[in-house]
Amino acid sequence: METDSALIEQSVQGRADAFVEVVQRHEAAVHGFLARRAGQQAAGDLLGEVWVRAFAARGGYDPAHPGARPWLYGIARNVLRAYWRSRQDTNAAAEEAVDPWDDVIDRLDSAAQARELISALQALPVPERDVLLLVAWEQLSPAEAAAVLGIPPGTVRSRLHRARAALRPVLAAASRET
Amino acid sequence: MTENIAEPDDLGPLRALGQVEPPGPGVLEAAREALWSAVAAEMLSADPGGRTSRARTGEVPGDVRRRRADPGR
Repeated sequence: METDSALIEQSVQGRADAFVEVVQRHEAAVHGFLARRAGQQAAGDLLGEVWVRAFAARGGYDPAHPGARPWLYGIARNVLRAYWRSRQDTNAAAEEAVDPWDDVIDRLDSAAQARELISALQALPVPERDVLLLVAWEQLSPAEAAAVLGIPPGTVRSRLHRARAALRPVLAAASRET
Repeated sequence: MTENIAEPDDLGPLRALGQVEPPGPGVLEAAREALWSAVAAEMLSADPGGRTSRARTGEVPGDVRRRRADPGR
């Protein structure tokens, strides 16, 4: 099977439809990424925009990465940020301040055993929470999470370490209850 | 998507919290439709007259879009 990187290169070199095969490999995962953060309805609305942006940006794809999923998550993250900004008061929202966690909470399990975990997540600094959820929800390695966020892997590891340390008591309690 | 991390099992409750239903029927296809439109537009813009595209691939963008019905080609 050809790598995502090879297919993207083919799509750049004139076989534009090769990009569709890349999308078919990752569409369920990227939809899940969007749905966990924006809900099913918005995920369906935003997924096409992710593909169009990715297709337009494919010329800049780094062929050192055989798999395109972290790159696609990075684009999905940007689409989500634009979506959330569009729903905020533009006078109040600086780009780096975008944190739609209240929306996310509304969609998460509200069962009693989850409430404490949700509260602990909410208390995390946004950069630590971003890293933790990429690892926990999307099952990315720290290196892949770093590719999504455009930061060094070492920074991801340190943020992940801090987030895990902060959540350890709550995670341990939740594990005992399940 | 694997790289061993120090505490592989402690995130189970968090993973459970992130479970979502798979997309409904037609959702993925609808999103792909937007991509096919972009693919077709690029092919058209690269060759407004269509001569080069037909010479190179034997098809025009409309043919590309119709191939969605036969993904296993």
